[in-house]
Amino acid sequence: MKTTEEMRTGVKISTQNVDVFYGDNHAIKDVTVDILDNTVTAFIGPSGCGKSTFLRCLNRMNDTIDICRVSGDIIMDGQDIYNSKIDPVQLRAKVGMVFQKPNPFPKSIFDNVAYGPRIHGLVANKSDLEEVVRKSLRRAALWKEVKDRLDEPGTSLSGGQQQRLCIARAIATAPEVLLMDEPASALDPIASAQIEELIDELRKNYSVVIVTHSMQQAARVSQRTAFFHLGDMVEYGETSNIFTNPEDQRTQDYITGRFG
Amino acid sequence: MVSMAKLSKMHGSAESAQRLKKRKAAQMRLQAYGIAAIMLAGAALIVLMWSVISKASGAFTETYITLPVTLQTADIDPGNTGDPSIIGRANFGGIAKDALKAAFPYVRARKDKRQMYDIISAGAAFELRAMVLAKPSLIGQTIDFRFLASDIADLYRKGSYGKLTLHPHQGSLTITPDGKSVNIASNASDFAFVLARVKADLLGKATFNRDQAALQENGRRVFEERAAASEDSEIKAAHLTEATQRQAERDRLIALATDLELRATQGGAETLDKSAPSVLLRVGGAWVKFTEISAQGGVGKVIGTLDPAQLADWQLYVHDTPEALRKVSDLQAILIENLQISGGVETSFNTRFFTAGDSREPELAGIWGAAAGSFWTMLVTILLAFPIGVMAAVYLEEFAKKNIWNSFIEVNINNLAAVPSIVFGLLGLSIFLGFFGVPRSAPLAGGIVLAVMTLPTIIIAARASMAAVPPSIRDAALGIGASKLQTAFHHVLPLSMPGILTGTIIGMARALGETAPLIMIGMVAFIVDVPKGIMDSATVLPVQIYRWSDFPERAFEARTSAAILVLLVFLIIMNGLAVFLRKRFERRW
Repeated sequence: MKTTEEMRTGVKISTQNVDVFYGDNHAIKDVTVDILDNTVTAFIGPSGCGKSTFLRCLNRMNDTIDICRVSGDIIMDGQDIYNSKIDPVQLRAKVGMVFQKPNPFPKSIFDNVAYGPRIHGLVANKSDLEEVVRKSLRRAALWKEVKDRLDEPGTSLSGGQQQRLCIARAIATAPEVLLMDEPASALDPIASAQIEELIDELRKNYSVVIVTHSMQQAARVSQRTAFFHLGDMVEYGETSNIFTNPEDQRTQDYITGRFG
Repeated sequence: MVSMAKLSKMHGSAESAQRLKKRKAAQMRLQAYGIAAIMLAGAALIVLMWSVISKASGAFTETYITLPVTLQTADIDPGNTGDPSIIGRANFGGIAKDALKAAFPYVRARKDKRQMYDIISAGAAFELRAMVLAKPSLIGQTIDFRFLASDIADLYRKGSYGKLTLHPHQGSLTITPDGKSVNIASNASDFAFVLARVKADLLGKATFNRDQAALQENGRRVFEERAAASEDSEIKAAHLTEATQRQAERDRLIALATDLELRATQGGAETLDKSAPSVLLRVGGAWVKFTEISAQGGVGKVIGTLDPAQLADWQLYVHDTPEALRKVSDLQAILIENLQISGGVETSFNTRFFTAGDSREPELAGIWGAAAGSFWTMLVTILLAFPIGVMAAVYLEEFAKKNIWNSFIEVNINNLAAVPSIVFGLLGLSIFLGFFGVPRSAPLAGGIVLAVMTLPTIIIAARASMAAVPPSIRDAALGIGASKLQTAFHHVLPLSMPGILTGTIIGMARALGETAPLIMIGMVAFIVDVPKGIMDSATVLPVQIYRWSDFPERAFEARTSAAILVLLVFLIIMNGLAVFLRKRFERRW
């Protein structure tokens, strides 16, 4: 286990005073968080606390919701990602996302992974593309299971395999940040464990942000944890501190199971 | 305070059993209604199909009459040039008539000849011409040519005008010439049954006359009352005149009726006119048509050459439908029967119906022109409606923001789907024909109008099936960094394509069956040529059906039904394709 100091290689995304509104509903209230590079950051909190909403701000997925409005600054590598000069399409290539429910395209396993590199023009020829697909599947710990059936539809895989396929698909675009919205919630414990291992592995190359319902999971995989409650970010810090020595009463109540 | 424990005890009670019974009864009732409704619909469908198919069956065969034709060089190519333009100008109609004259030399009267010519189609001469043009070496020869029978000959063969029925007889016959006609006598009452029928008809006529007389009597009484009530002597006189006239008419009708009744009750010969059944004798190689009949014989006209030595074998035929009520005359019927006896008549499958264009002559009319018109029209429709409709749906579903303008557009698209189709015809007439100058009657114009009509259907179907694509697929694509356009075209559109195609085919099927808007833009014209492109004048299948159903010739009745069948086959194929696509490419998430 590395020390926390070793992991602090720098701030990847810095958010300042972020507010999110769904119409009149104030979903995120004045959140300021620094997300570190090569770190797994977990967002925890009870249902409806806004952790997923906040996650979706980081790659501007909230843009697809008409009534959603975001204010405040989200700075990634020194650039405000909500600046009008930033193309959300480019941003999402750099900030990959894995969703709660496995959502492979109804295409072949190969095409699922190859889709990102193809549309972003990352590779020049077919053999490079095949290499990217192979590497991505290896990193997602799926290669051994699917290497002989890359032509089969992605939807034919089991739930856990599908989710790893989605992770492979996300990392095939070579992102810098990987957002994961409850990636293991639809999976059984064994598949969950595999995904968690994978997340720990991915930390070497990416800044990973994970939203999770399971506090054990947050404790296991993350180095830093943010606790959200009713749209407020209540507490943010080293995971070990949050779980052993929370400063706020609400955090204390949540992690000891009083509510949530 | 409600005790839940008490409530749960109610489940097994008599009261609840009663309620359960009622519920079951209601369910059974509903099921029975449903089954009844389905059976009713099924029965309606069977009746419809049976009626269309039974009516259409006559259109799928045609009759040919084979006659020897002498292709004399003097008639066709006097100079023996072999020049097609000269051969083509020859009077093949006359040659065809000569063939008939040669086959039936005993038909001499001008009126009879005209009837004789009518048993072959007007188109037969053109076929003869085409045959000679294709093979000029036939000139100078006598060939057996298959003349297409006319519609009336064809219908007579198919029994549409009733049939000649053979009646048994006991007596032997004597025939004595009497001027232009012959006197026929049998030694048994072989004709009594026909006479009885004629006499019964007389009684019917008498009753009719008496009814008319009663009406005249009413009129007389009314005018007499008016005369009595009237003060003015001039008006009184006028009324009285009217009354007298009606009285005279009444007396005349009653006298007529009395006379008819007298004739009906007494024996004695009766004249057979065109409103009486036709009585025909086949004897001695000829036919005799009765003009006057008694129980044991009558007066008749010989058609053919009667051999007086061969009177022993004779047949008595009666055609129950009076000559006045059918298009085929007794002479024509006899000529066709003669041809049938000599083996010169044959029936074959009517390929012409599927390969020819429209014609005023039913035996020459086909649906290929209309089918080709439908094809070109549908081609224009799908080329316009499908891309525009799908693009509109992509925009509305994937790009358009939810604001008042877009919901206004949405409501209007939905309303457009419910607009009566003739309104689109009016639009086509005023905008496309009137303003843009699209040629009238052309598949281009029809296709544009039908495309406008089909657009809302396609847009609605496309939007519905795109909305059915789960948002997680869109999220996945967007999350990787696909643009909205890429998301729509790489993922949403391919996934929703089966639904879009289903909607499109249903829309096209509706367009294929559409008549009203096409009538507005002139696709109802009589067009003989098969259209070769979208700018030619054309008509379409449903309009062809509509037009044929309006034609007076009886043979078009069968052709109308046959065309309906063809249209139904196309519609069933299209709907089947839609079902197939839906089943084959249906995805579940």
